[in-house]
Amino acid sequence: MTYFAIETNCLTKRFGDVTAVDVVDLRVGMGEIYGFLGLNGAGKTTTIRALLGMIYPSAGNVKVLGQAVGPHGRGPWARVGHLVEHPSVYPELSLWENLDVARRLHGIVNENATETVIEKLNLNEYASRKAGRLSTGNLQRLGLARVLLHEPELLILDEPTNGLDPAGVVEIRELLRSLVQERGVTIFMSSHILTEVDRLATRIGIIHHGQLIEELDTAKLEKMRARRLEVRSHYRAGVLISLESAGYKPAVEGDTVFLEEPYAIEHPDQIAQILVNAGAPPIHLAVQQQDLEEHFMQLTGGSQAREKGQ
Amino acid sequence: MNNFSAALWAETLKMRRSKVPFFSALGFSMAPLGGGLFMIILKDPEAAQAMGLISTKAQLMIGVADWPAYLGFLLQAVAAGGLILFSILTTWVFGREFSDHTVKELLALPTMRETIVTAKFIVIGVWSVGVTLLVFCISLIVGYLIVLPGWSTELLGASFLGMLGCALLTLGLIPFVALLASMGRGYMPPFGWTILTMILAQFIVIMGWGDRFPWAIPGLFSGAAGPRAEVLGTHSYIILLITFLIGLAATYWWWRDADQTR
Repeated sequence: MTYFAIETNCLTKRFGDVTAVDVVDLRVGMGEIYGFLGLNGAGKTTTIRALLGMIYPSAGNVKVLGQAVGPHGRGPWARVGHLVEHPSVYPELSLWENLDVARRLHGIVNENATETVIEKLNLNEYASRKAGRLSTGNLQRLGLARVLLHEPELLILDEPTNGLDPAGVVEIRELLRSLVQERGVTIFMSSHILTEVDRLATRIGIIHHGQLIEELDTAKLEKMRARRLEVRSHYRAGVLISLESAGYKPAVEGDTVFLEEPYAIEHPDQIAQILVNAGAPPIHLAVQQQDLEEHFMQLTGGSQAREKGQ
Repeated sequence: MNNFSAALWAETLKMRRSKVPFFSALGFSMAPLGGGLFMIILKDPEAAQAMGLISTKAQLMIGVADWPAYLGFLLQAVAAGGLILFSILTTWVFGREFSDHTVKELLALPTMRETIVTAKFIVIGVWSVGVTLLVFCISLIVGYLIVLPGWSTELLGASFLGMLGCALLTLGLIPFVALLASMGRGYMPPFGWTILTMILAQFIVIMGWGDRFPWAIPGLFSGAAGPRAEVLGTHSYIILLITFLIGLAATYWWWRDADQTR
Protein backbone atom coordinates (compact mmCIF):
# COMPACT_ATOMS: atom_id res chain seq x y z
CA MET A 1 0.00 0.00 0.00
CA THR A 2 1.41 3.38 -0.95
CA TYR A 3 0.79 6.46 1.08
CA PHE A 4 2.37 9.78 1.85
CA ALA A 5 4.57 10.13 4.90
CA ILE A 6 2.59 13.28 5.65
CA GLU A 7 -0.69 14.33 4.11
CA THR A 8 -2.88 17.23 5.14
CA ASN A 9 -6.10 18.16 3.46
CA CYS A 10 -7.30 21.74 3.94
CA LEU A 11 -5.65 21.80 7.35
CA THR A 12 -6.96 24.81 9.23
CA LYS A 13 -6.43 25.78 12.84
CA ARG A 14 -8.08 28.75 14.48
CA PHE A 15 -7.47 30.09 17.97
CA GLY A 16 -10.44 32.35 18.56
CA ASP A 17 -10.32 35.01 15.85
CA VAL A 18 -6.77 34.16 14.85
CA THR A 19 -6.28 31.71 11.99
CA ALA A 20 -2.87 30.20 12.69
CA VAL A 21 -2.98 27.69 9.82
CA ASP A 22 -5.16 28.45 6.83
CA VAL A 23 -6.20 25.64 4.44
CA VAL A 24 -2.81 23.98 4.12
CA ASP A 25 -2.45 21.00 1.78
CA LEU A 26 0.80 19.19 2.35
CA ARG A 27 2.03 16.02 0.67
CA VAL A 28 5.38 14.68 1.77
CA GLY A 29 6.47 11.50 0.06
CA MET A 30 8.40 8.67 1.68
CA GLY A 31 12.16 9.27 1.70
CA GLU A 32 11.88 13.02 1.15
CA ILE A 33 13.58 15.72 3.18
CA TYR A 34 10.99 18.44 3.35
CA GLY A 35 12.11 21.85 4.59
CA PHE A 36 9.33 23.90 6.15
CA LEU A 37 10.08 27.60 6.25
CA GLY A 38 8.28 30.59 7.64
CA LEU A 39 8.77 33.70 9.70
CA ASN A 40 8.05 33.66 13.43
CA GLY A 41 4.31 33.25 13.90
CA ALA A 42 3.79 32.07 10.32
CA GLY A 43 2.19 28.82 11.49
CA LYS A 44 5.12 26.36 11.38
CA THR A 45 4.90 25.08 14.94
CA THR A 46 1.10 24.98 14.88
CA THR A 47 1.28 22.84 11.73
CA ILE A 48 3.87 20.56 13.33
CA ARG A 49 1.74 20.20 16.47
CA ALA A 50 -1.26 19.32 14.29
CA LEU A 51 0.82 16.68 12.48
CA LEU A 52 1.69 15.17 15.85
CA GLY A 53 -1.87 15.24 17.18
CA MET A 54 -0.97 17.74 19.90
CA ILE A 55 -3.64 20.09 18.62
CA TYR A 56 -6.66 19.17 16.57
CA PRO A 57 -7.64 20.90 13.33
CA SER A 58 -10.55 23.35 13.28
CA ALA A 59 -11.12 22.06 9.75
CA GLY A 60 -9.45 19.59 7.41
CA ASN A 61 -7.56 16.49 8.36
CA VAL A 62 -4.10 15.08 8.90
CA LYS A 63 -2.65 11.71 7.97
CA VAL A 64 0.79 10.58 9.07
CA LEU A 65 2.26 7.42 7.54
CA GLY A 66 -1.17 6.66 6.17
CA GLN A 67 -2.92 6.82 9.55
CA ALA A 68 -5.43 9.50 10.48
CA VAL A 69 -4.28 11.62 13.41
CA GLY A 70 -7.02 12.30 15.94
CA PRO A 71 -7.98 12.05 19.58
CA HIS A 72 -9.36 8.54 19.33
CA GLY A 73 -6.52 6.74 17.61
CA ARG A 74 -3.14 5.59 18.82
CA GLY A 75 -1.52 7.17 15.80
CA PRO A 76 1.58 5.89 14.08
CA TRP A 77 3.81 7.20 16.87
CA ALA A 78 5.96 4.09 17.19
CA ARG A 79 7.22 4.95 13.67
CA VAL A 80 7.61 8.70 14.18
CA GLY A 81 10.32 10.65 15.98
CA HIS A 82 9.63 14.26 16.83
CA LEU A 83 11.35 17.30 18.24
CA VAL A 84 9.06 20.27 18.79
CA GLU A 85 10.71 23.61 19.53
CA HIS A 86 13.43 23.14 22.14
CA PRO A 87 13.98 19.68 23.68
CA SER A 88 12.31 19.31 27.06
CA VAL A 89 13.85 17.06 29.67
CA TYR A 90 13.35 15.97 33.25
CA PRO A 91 16.14 17.96 34.90
CA GLU A 92 16.40 15.70 37.95
CA LEU A 93 17.03 12.62 35.79
CA SER A 94 20.36 11.86 34.17
CA LEU A 95 20.75 11.99 30.40
CA TRP A 96 20.72 8.18 30.36
CA GLU A 97 17.56 8.03 32.49
CA ASN A 98 15.78 10.57 30.28
CA LEU A 99 16.51 8.38 27.28
CA ASP A 100 15.55 5.21 29.11
CA VAL A 101 12.18 6.73 30.07
CA ALA A 102 11.62 7.48 26.37
CA ARG A 103 12.80 3.98 25.40
CA ARG A 104 10.30 2.32 27.69
CA LEU A 105 7.43 4.61 26.72
CA HIS A 106 8.17 3.76 23.09
CA GLY A 107 7.90 0.10 24.03
CA ILE A 108 11.46 -0.72 22.95
CA VAL A 109 12.45 -3.99 24.59
CA ASN A 110 16.12 -3.87 23.58
CA GLU A 111 17.86 -2.29 26.58
CA ASN A 112 20.97 -1.56 24.50
CA ALA A 113 19.01 0.94 22.40
CA THR A 114 19.76 3.66 24.94
CA GLU A 115 23.53 3.05 24.84
CA THR A 116 23.51 2.81 21.05
CA VAL A 117 21.86 6.19 20.56
CA ILE A 118 24.07 7.80 23.22
CA GLU A 119 27.08 6.60 21.26
CA LYS A 120 25.62 7.74 17.94
CA LEU A 121 25.14 11.28 19.25
CA ASN A 122 28.55 11.35 20.99
CA LEU A 123 26.98 11.80 24.40
CA ASN A 124 28.92 9.09 26.29
CA GLU A 125 30.76 11.42 28.64
CA TYR A 126 27.50 13.11 29.70
CA ALA A 127 25.40 9.95 30.11
CA SER A 128 25.35 10.09 33.92
CA ARG A 129 25.06 13.88 34.14
CA LYS A 130 21.73 15.30 35.29
CA ALA A 131 19.88 16.70 32.30
CA GLY A 132 19.34 20.00 34.15
CA ARG A 133 23.11 20.53 34.06
CA LEU A 134 23.63 19.95 30.34
CA SER A 135 24.66 22.73 27.99
CA THR A 136 22.16 23.95 25.37
CA GLY A 137 24.02 22.06 22.64
CA ASN A 138 24.04 18.80 24.58
CA LEU A 139 20.37 19.24 25.45
CA GLN A 140 19.70 19.52 21.73
CA ARG A 141 21.71 16.34 21.17
CA LEU A 142 19.71 14.64 23.91
CA GLY A 143 16.52 15.75 22.15
CA LEU A 144 17.79 14.31 18.87
CA ALA A 145 18.89 11.11 20.61
CA ARG A 146 15.34 10.72 21.91
CA VAL A 147 14.02 11.26 18.38
CA LEU A 148 16.28 8.54 16.95
CA LEU A 149 15.99 6.07 19.84
CA HIS A 150 13.25 3.93 18.27
CA GLU A 151 14.66 4.10 14.72
CA PRO A 152 11.63 5.88 13.28
CA GLU A 153 10.63 5.97 9.63
CA LEU A 154 9.59 9.61 9.82
CA LEU A 155 11.28 12.46 11.66
CA ILE A 156 9.33 15.64 12.39
CA LEU A 157 11.85 18.19 13.54
CA ASP A 158 11.29 21.77 14.59
CA GLU A 159 14.61 23.65 14.52
CA PRO A 160 16.79 20.53 14.92
CA THR A 161 20.12 22.38 14.95
CA ASN A 162 19.10 25.01 17.51
CA GLY A 163 21.85 25.71 20.02
CA LEU A 164 24.48 23.61 18.27
CA ASP A 165 27.92 25.00 17.45
CA PRO A 166 28.96 25.01 13.76
CA ALA A 167 30.68 21.62 14.08
CA GLY A 168 27.55 20.23 15.73
CA VAL A 169 25.37 21.62 12.93
CA VAL A 170 27.53 19.87 10.31
CA GLU A 171 27.52 16.65 12.35
CA ILE A 172 23.74 16.61 12.69
CA ARG A 173 23.29 17.46 9.02
CA GLU A 174 25.48 14.49 8.07
CA LEU A 175 23.62 12.27 10.52
CA LEU A 176 20.24 13.22 9.04
CA ARG A 177 21.55 12.78 5.52
CA SER A 178 22.90 9.33 6.36
CA LEU A 179 19.53 8.34 7.86
CA VAL A 180 17.86 9.20 4.56
CA GLN A 181 20.49 7.49 2.44
CA GLU A 182 20.96 4.35 4.54
CA ARG A 183 17.51 3.76 5.97
CA GLY A 184 15.23 5.74 3.68
CA VAL A 185 13.97 7.85 6.58
CA THR A 186 11.62 10.73 5.71
CA ILE A 187 12.38 14.07 7.32
CA PHE A 188 10.02 17.00 7.77
CA MET A 189 11.96 19.84 9.28
CA SER A 190 11.52 23.48 10.01
CA SER A 191 14.47 25.73 10.58
CA HIS A 192 15.27 29.39 10.63
CA ILE A 193 18.76 28.60 9.31
CA LEU A 194 17.84 28.76 5.64
CA THR A 195 21.25 27.68 4.38
CA GLU A 196 20.87 24.55 6.47
CA VAL A 197 17.49 23.74 4.96
CA ASP A 198 18.82 24.56 1.51
CA ARG A 199 21.69 22.09 1.96
CA LEU A 200 19.51 19.26 3.21
CA ALA A 201 16.04 19.55 1.74
CA THR A 202 14.84 17.86 -1.41
CA ARG A 203 11.68 19.95 -1.29
CA ILE A 204 10.81 23.16 0.49
CA GLY A 205 7.47 24.61 1.57
CA ILE A 206 7.10 28.22 2.59
CA ILE A 207 4.32 29.15 4.97
CA HIS A 208 3.28 32.75 5.48
CA HIS A 209 0.37 34.06 7.55
CA GLY A 210 -0.77 30.45 7.95
CA GLN A 211 -0.87 29.75 4.20
CA LEU A 212 1.46 27.55 2.21
CA ILE A 213 2.45 30.15 -0.34
CA GLU A 214 5.06 28.21 -2.30
CA GLU A 215 6.57 24.80 -2.68
CA LEU A 216 9.94 24.38 -4.32
CA ASP A 217 10.51 20.92 -5.70
CA THR A 218 13.87 19.39 -6.59
CA ALA A 219 13.91 20.90 -10.09
CA LYS A 220 13.12 24.39 -8.84
CA LEU A 221 15.64 24.09 -6.07
CA GLU A 222 18.32 22.89 -8.45
CA LYS A 223 17.58 25.77 -10.77
CA MET A 224 17.79 28.16 -7.86
CA ARG A 225 20.99 26.60 -6.61
CA ALA A 226 22.55 26.54 -10.13
CA ARG A 227 25.30 29.07 -10.71
CA ARG A 228 25.35 31.28 -13.80
CA LEU A 229 27.55 33.96 -15.24
CA GLU A 230 26.01 37.40 -15.29
CA VAL A 231 27.20 39.75 -18.02
CA ARG A 232 26.35 43.41 -18.61
CA SER A 233 27.74 45.61 -21.32
CA HIS A 234 26.86 48.88 -23.06
CA TYR A 235 26.64 46.81 -26.26
CA ARG A 236 24.19 44.01 -25.47
CA ALA A 237 23.63 43.05 -29.13
CA GLY A 238 27.38 42.66 -29.60
CA VAL A 239 27.56 40.51 -26.48
CA LEU A 240 24.85 38.18 -27.75
CA ILE A 241 26.33 37.83 -31.24
CA SER A 242 29.87 37.22 -30.01
CA LEU A 243 28.81 34.67 -27.38
CA GLU A 244 26.56 32.81 -29.81
CA SER A 245 29.31 32.66 -32.41
CA ALA A 246 31.64 31.30 -29.70
CA GLY A 247 29.18 28.42 -29.18
CA TYR A 248 27.43 29.62 -26.01
CA LYS A 249 23.68 29.91 -25.45
CA PRO A 250 23.15 33.25 -23.74
CA ALA A 251 19.83 34.04 -22.00
CA VAL A 252 18.56 37.57 -21.53
CA GLU A 253 16.77 38.98 -18.49
CA GLY A 254 16.29 42.74 -18.71
CA ASP A 255 19.62 44.34 -19.52
CA THR A 256 21.58 41.35 -18.27
CA VAL A 257 22.85 38.39 -20.24
CA PHE A 258 23.28 35.04 -18.48
CA LEU A 259 25.45 32.06 -19.35
CA GLU A 260 24.78 28.70 -17.70
CA GLU A 261 27.54 26.68 -19.36
CA PRO A 262 29.95 25.28 -16.72
CA TYR A 263 32.99 26.29 -18.80
CA ALA A 264 31.83 29.92 -18.87
CA ILE A 265 31.20 29.89 -15.11
CA GLU A 266 34.65 28.41 -14.40
CA HIS A 267 36.48 30.71 -16.88
CA PRO A 268 34.93 34.21 -16.79
CA ASP A 269 38.29 35.62 -17.95
CA GLN A 270 37.89 33.81 -21.29
CA ILE A 271 34.38 35.27 -21.69
CA ALA A 272 35.75 38.74 -20.97
CA GLN A 273 38.42 38.18 -23.64
CA ILE A 274 35.75 37.17 -26.22
CA LEU A 275 33.70 40.27 -25.44
CA VAL A 276 36.69 42.63 -25.57
CA ASN A 277 37.79 41.13 -28.90
CA ALA A 278 34.24 41.61 -30.26
CA GLY A 279 34.25 45.27 -29.25
CA ALA A 280 31.63 44.80 -26.53
CA PRO A 281 33.68 44.96 -23.32
CA PRO A 282 31.77 43.94 -20.15
CA ILE A 283 30.98 46.52 -17.48
CA HIS A 284 29.82 43.78 -15.11
CA LEU A 285 30.89 40.15 -15.02
CA ALA A 286 30.00 38.00 -12.01
CA VAL A 287 29.15 34.44 -11.09
CA GLN A 288 25.72 34.49 -9.53
CA GLN A 289 23.94 31.91 -7.45
CA GLN A 290 20.41 32.60 -6.35
CA ASP A 291 20.03 32.31 -2.65
CA LEU A 292 17.14 30.63 -0.82
CA GLU A 293 17.31 33.31 1.82
CA GLU A 294 16.93 36.03 -0.82
CA HIS A 295 14.03 34.17 -2.40
CA PHE A 296 12.39 33.61 0.98
CA MET A 297 12.74 37.26 1.95
CA GLN A 298 11.24 38.40 -1.33
CA LEU A 299 8.35 36.03 -0.93
CA THR A 300 7.51 36.78 2.67
CA GLY A 301 8.60 40.40 2.88
CA GLY A 302 10.74 39.23 5.77
CA SER A 303 12.85 42.33 6.15
CA GLN A 304 9.78 44.58 6.06
CA ALA A 305 8.07 42.39 8.63
CA ARG A 306 11.07 42.69 10.90
CA GLU A 307 11.19 46.47 10.47
CA LYS A 308 7.56 46.58 11.55
CA GLY A 309 8.56 44.60 14.64
CA GLN A 310 6.68 41.44 13.73
CA MET B 1 7.37 -4.48 29.71
CA ASN B 2 3.97 -3.33 28.48
CA ASN B 3 2.97 0.31 28.04
CA PHE B 4 1.28 0.58 31.41
CA SER B 5 4.18 -0.80 33.41
CA ALA B 6 6.53 1.44 31.38
CA ALA B 7 4.46 4.50 32.29
CA LEU B 8 4.30 3.42 35.93
CA TRP B 9 8.05 2.83 35.96
CA ALA B 10 8.67 6.29 34.45
CA GLU B 11 6.43 8.05 36.97
CA THR B 12 8.02 6.18 39.86
CA LEU B 13 11.51 7.09 38.65
CA LYS B 14 10.56 10.79 38.40
CA MET B 15 9.13 10.59 41.91
CA ARG B 16 12.21 8.86 43.30
CA ARG B 17 14.61 11.34 41.77
CA SER B 18 12.72 14.44 42.85
CA LYS B 19 13.01 16.17 46.20
CA VAL B 20 9.34 17.26 46.24
CA PRO B 21 7.81 13.91 47.36
CA PHE B 22 10.59 13.35 49.89
CA PHE B 23 10.32 16.74 51.56
CA SER B 24 6.51 16.73 51.56
CA ALA B 25 6.57 13.27 53.21
CA LEU B 26 9.10 14.58 55.71
CA GLY B 27 6.84 17.55 56.44
CA PHE B 28 3.83 15.29 56.94
CA SER B 29 5.86 13.11 59.32
CA MET B 30 6.21 16.10 61.62
CA ALA B 31 2.53 15.76 62.62
CA PRO B 32 3.05 12.83 65.05
CA LEU B 33 6.13 14.53 66.46
CA GLY B 34 4.13 17.74 67.04
CA GLY B 35 1.30 15.72 68.58
CA GLY B 36 3.83 13.92 70.79
CA LEU B 37 5.19 17.26 71.96
CA PHE B 38 1.68 18.39 72.94
CA MET B 39 1.23 15.14 74.86
CA ILE B 40 4.46 15.68 76.78
CA ILE B 41 3.25 19.18 77.69
CA LEU B 42 -0.16 17.88 78.77
CA LYS B 43 1.32 15.10 80.84
CA ASP B 44 3.26 17.54 82.97
CA PRO B 45 1.97 21.09 82.37
CA GLU B 46 3.96 22.65 85.22
CA ALA B 47 7.24 21.27 84.03
CA ALA B 48 6.36 22.29 80.47
CA GLN B 49 5.49 25.83 81.61
CA ALA B 50 8.77 26.03 83.51
CA MET B 51 10.53 25.02 80.27
CA GLY B 52 8.73 27.87 78.45
CA LEU B 53 6.37 25.63 76.48
CA ILE B 54 2.78 26.79 75.93
CA SER B 55 0.68 24.35 77.89
CA THR B 56 -2.62 26.27 77.61
CA LYS B 57 -2.64 26.06 73.83
CA ALA B 58 -1.84 22.35 73.98
CA GLN B 59 -4.71 21.78 76.40
CA LEU B 60 -7.08 23.72 74.19
CA MET B 61 -6.08 21.76 71.12
CA ILE B 62 -6.01 18.26 72.49
CA GLY B 63 -7.39 18.16 76.03
CA VAL B 64 -5.95 15.22 77.89
CA ALA B 65 -2.76 13.28 77.34
CA ASP B 66 -3.80 9.77 76.33
CA TRP B 67 -3.88 7.54 73.26
CA PRO B 68 -7.45 8.44 72.14
CA ALA B 69 -6.70 12.19 72.28
CA TYR B 70 -3.35 11.76 70.56
CA LEU B 71 -4.68 9.61 67.71
CA GLY B 72 -7.77 11.86 67.37
CA PHE B 73 -5.50 14.87 66.94
CA LEU B 74 -3.47 13.03 64.31
CA LEU B 75 -6.60 12.06 62.41
CA GLN B 76 -7.53 15.73 62.12
CA ALA B 77 -3.96 16.53 61.10
CA VAL B 78 -4.20 13.93 58.33
CA ALA B 79 -7.47 15.49 57.11
CA ALA B 80 -6.16 19.06 56.99
CA GLY B 81 -2.51 18.37 56.19
CA GLY B 82 -3.42 15.56 53.83
CA LEU B 83 -5.41 17.80 51.54
CA ILE B 84 -2.52 20.26 51.37
CA LEU B 85 0.21 17.65 50.94
CA PHE B 86 -1.65 15.42 48.50
CA SER B 87 -2.48 18.55 46.50
CA ILE B 88 1.16 19.64 46.47
CA LEU B 89 2.20 16.24 45.19
CA THR B 90 -0.55 16.13 42.56
CA THR B 91 0.29 19.65 41.46
CA TRP B 92 3.90 18.61 41.06
CA VAL B 93 3.19 15.31 39.27
CA PHE B 94 0.88 16.93 36.70
CA GLY B 95 1.99 20.58 36.72
CA ARG B 96 5.68 19.86 36.25
CA GLU B 97 5.01 18.35 32.81
CA PHE B 98 3.69 21.74 31.71
CA SER B 99 6.11 23.86 33.69
CA ASP B 100 9.11 21.91 32.29
CA HIS B 101 7.36 21.62 28.87
CA THR B 102 7.90 17.84 29.01
CA VAL B 103 4.23 17.24 28.24
CA LYS B 104 4.95 17.50 24.51
CA GLU B 105 7.20 14.46 24.83
CA LEU B 106 4.26 12.47 26.23
CA LEU B 107 1.61 13.26 23.63
CA ALA B 108 2.80 11.47 20.51
CA LEU B 109 3.90 8.12 21.90
CA PRO B 110 2.83 4.51 21.42
CA THR B 111 1.93 4.67 25.12
CA MET B 112 -1.52 6.25 25.22
CA ARG B 113 -2.06 9.48 27.10
CA GLU B 114 -4.72 7.82 29.26
CA THR B 115 -2.14 5.25 30.34
CA ILE B 116 0.24 8.01 31.41
CA VAL B 117 -2.51 9.79 33.36
CA THR B 118 -3.48 6.51 35.06
CA ALA B 119 0.15 5.89 36.03
CA LYS B 120 0.33 9.39 37.50
CA PHE B 121 -2.82 8.88 39.58
CA ILE B 122 -1.59 5.50 40.82
CA VAL B 123 1.76 6.92 41.88
CA ILE B 124 -0.02 9.76 43.72
CA GLY B 125 -2.39 7.31 45.40
CA VAL B 126 0.33 4.91 46.48
CA TRP B 127 2.54 7.73 47.76
CA SER B 128 -0.36 9.32 49.68
CA VAL B 129 -1.46 6.08 51.32
CA GLY B 130 2.18 5.18 52.01
CA VAL B 131 2.84 8.50 53.72
CA THR B 132 -0.36 8.14 55.76
CA LEU B 133 0.80 4.69 56.91
CA LEU B 134 4.22 6.15 57.71
CA VAL B 135 2.56 8.85 59.83
CA PHE B 136 0.52 6.16 61.60
CA CYS B 137 3.64 4.09 62.35
CA ILE B 138 5.55 7.14 63.62
CA SER B 139 2.52 7.96 65.81
CA LEU B 140 2.69 4.53 67.41
CA ILE B 141 6.41 4.83 68.06
CA VAL B 142 6.08 8.37 69.51
CA GLY B 143 3.07 7.36 71.66
CA TYR B 144 4.95 4.32 72.93
CA LEU B 145 8.07 6.35 73.75
CA ILE B 146 6.19 8.99 75.72
CA VAL B 147 4.23 6.25 77.56
CA LEU B 148 0.67 7.43 76.92
CA PRO B 149 -2.18 5.81 78.85
CA GLY B 150 -5.43 4.43 77.35
CA TRP B 151 -4.01 1.97 74.81
CA SER B 152 -6.23 -0.77 73.35
CA THR B 153 -6.17 -2.89 70.22
CA GLU B 154 -9.73 -1.68 69.38
CA LEU B 155 -8.48 1.89 69.47
CA LEU B 156 -5.53 0.93 67.30
CA GLY B 157 -7.80 -0.68 64.71
CA ALA B 158 -10.30 2.18 64.72
CA SER B 159 -7.56 4.80 64.42
CA PHE B 160 -5.86 2.89 61.61
CA LEU B 161 -9.10 2.61 59.64
CA GLY B 162 -9.99 6.24 60.43
CA MET B 163 -6.65 7.54 59.18
CA LEU B 164 -6.74 5.36 56.07
CA GLY B 165 -10.37 6.36 55.40
CA CYS B 166 -9.50 9.99 55.82
CA ALA B 167 -6.59 9.65 53.36
CA LEU B 168 -8.81 7.87 50.82
CA LEU B 169 -11.56 10.50 51.12
CA THR B 170 -8.96 13.22 50.62
CA LEU B 171 -7.65 11.37 47.56
CA GLY B 172 -11.17 11.63 46.15
CA LEU B 173 -10.61 15.38 45.81
CA ILE B 174 -7.28 15.03 44.03
CA PRO B 175 -8.48 14.64 40.39
CA PHE B 176 -9.71 18.24 40.36
CA VAL B 177 -6.24 19.37 41.45
CA ALA B 178 -4.76 17.30 38.59
CA LEU B 179 -7.26 18.84 36.19
CA LEU B 180 -6.43 22.38 37.31
CA ALA B 181 -2.68 21.66 37.05
CA SER B 182 -3.22 20.38 33.49
CA MET B 183 -5.62 23.08 32.33
CA GLY B 184 -3.66 25.82 34.08
CA ARG B 185 -0.43 24.33 32.67
CA GLY B 186 1.57 24.74 35.84
CA TYR B 187 1.57 25.11 39.58
CA MET B 188 -0.36 28.23 40.53
CA PRO B 189 -3.96 27.36 39.47
CA PRO B 190 -4.08 24.09 41.50
CA PHE B 191 -2.52 25.82 44.53
CA GLY B 192 -5.14 28.55 44.28
CA TRP B 193 -7.85 25.93 43.89
CA THR B 194 -6.72 24.04 47.01
CA ILE B 195 -6.69 27.19 49.12
CA LEU B 196 -10.08 28.28 47.75
CA THR B 197 -11.72 24.92 48.50
CA MET B 198 -10.25 24.84 52.02
CA ILE B 199 -11.61 28.31 52.78
CA LEU B 200 -15.00 27.49 51.25
CA ALA B 201 -15.16 24.27 53.28
CA GLN B 202 -14.75 26.28 56.51
CA PHE B 203 -17.66 28.59 55.63
CA ILE B 204 -19.91 25.81 54.37
CA VAL B 205 -19.36 23.71 57.50
CA ILE B 206 -20.30 26.73 59.66
CA MET B 207 -23.47 27.13 57.57
CA GLY B 208 -24.31 23.49 58.25
CA TRP B 209 -24.01 22.18 54.70
CA GLY B 210 -20.64 20.48 55.13
CA ASP B 211 -22.08 17.01 54.60
CA ARG B 212 -22.96 18.00 51.02
CA PHE B 213 -19.76 19.85 50.14
CA PRO B 214 -17.09 17.38 48.94
CA TRP B 215 -14.17 19.47 50.12
CA ALA B 216 -15.53 19.54 53.69
CA ILE B 217 -16.18 15.80 53.96
CA PRO B 218 -12.64 14.54 54.87
CA GLY B 219 -12.45 17.19 57.63
CA LEU B 220 -15.84 16.19 59.01
CA PHE B 221 -14.87 12.53 58.76
CA SER B 222 -11.81 13.24 60.90
CA GLY B 223 -14.05 14.56 63.64
CA ALA B 224 -12.83 18.13 63.36
CA ALA B 225 -16.41 19.38 63.77
CA GLY B 226 -17.67 16.77 66.20
CA PRO B 227 -18.37 13.04 66.01
CA ARG B 228 -18.56 12.07 62.32
CA ALA B 229 -21.65 9.86 62.66
CA GLU B 230 -23.74 12.91 63.55
CA VAL B 231 -22.66 14.89 60.52
CA LEU B 232 -21.96 12.63 57.56
CA GLY B 233 -24.40 10.32 55.84
CA THR B 234 -24.29 7.91 52.91
CA HIS B 235 -25.18 10.83 50.65
CA SER B 236 -21.90 12.53 51.67
CA TYR B 237 -19.82 9.60 50.46
CA ILE B 238 -21.85 9.39 47.25
CA ILE B 239 -21.27 13.09 46.60
CA LEU B 240 -17.55 12.63 47.18
CA LEU B 241 -17.47 9.60 44.87
CA ILE B 242 -19.27 11.55 42.14
CA THR B 243 -16.83 14.45 42.58
CA PHE B 244 -13.94 11.99 42.27
CA LEU B 245 -15.36 10.43 39.10
CA ILE B 246 -16.12 13.79 37.47
CA GLY B 247 -12.61 15.04 38.24
CA LEU B 248 -11.10 11.85 36.91
CA ALA B 249 -13.16 11.88 33.70
CA ALA B 250 -12.43 15.56 33.10
CA THR B 251 -8.68 15.03 33.55
CA TYR B 252 -8.66 12.10 31.11
CA TRP B 253 -10.75 14.07 28.66
CA TRP B 254 -8.47 17.07 28.86
CA TRP B 255 -5.30 15.03 28.27
CA ARG B 256 -6.86 13.20 25.34
CA ASP B 257 -8.92 15.86 23.59
CA ALA B 258 -7.71 19.34 24.49
CA ASP B 259 -5.25 21.27 22.34
CA GLN B 260 -1.76 21.14 23.79
CA THR B 261 -0.14 24.34 22.71
CA ARG B 262 2.85 24.32 25.07
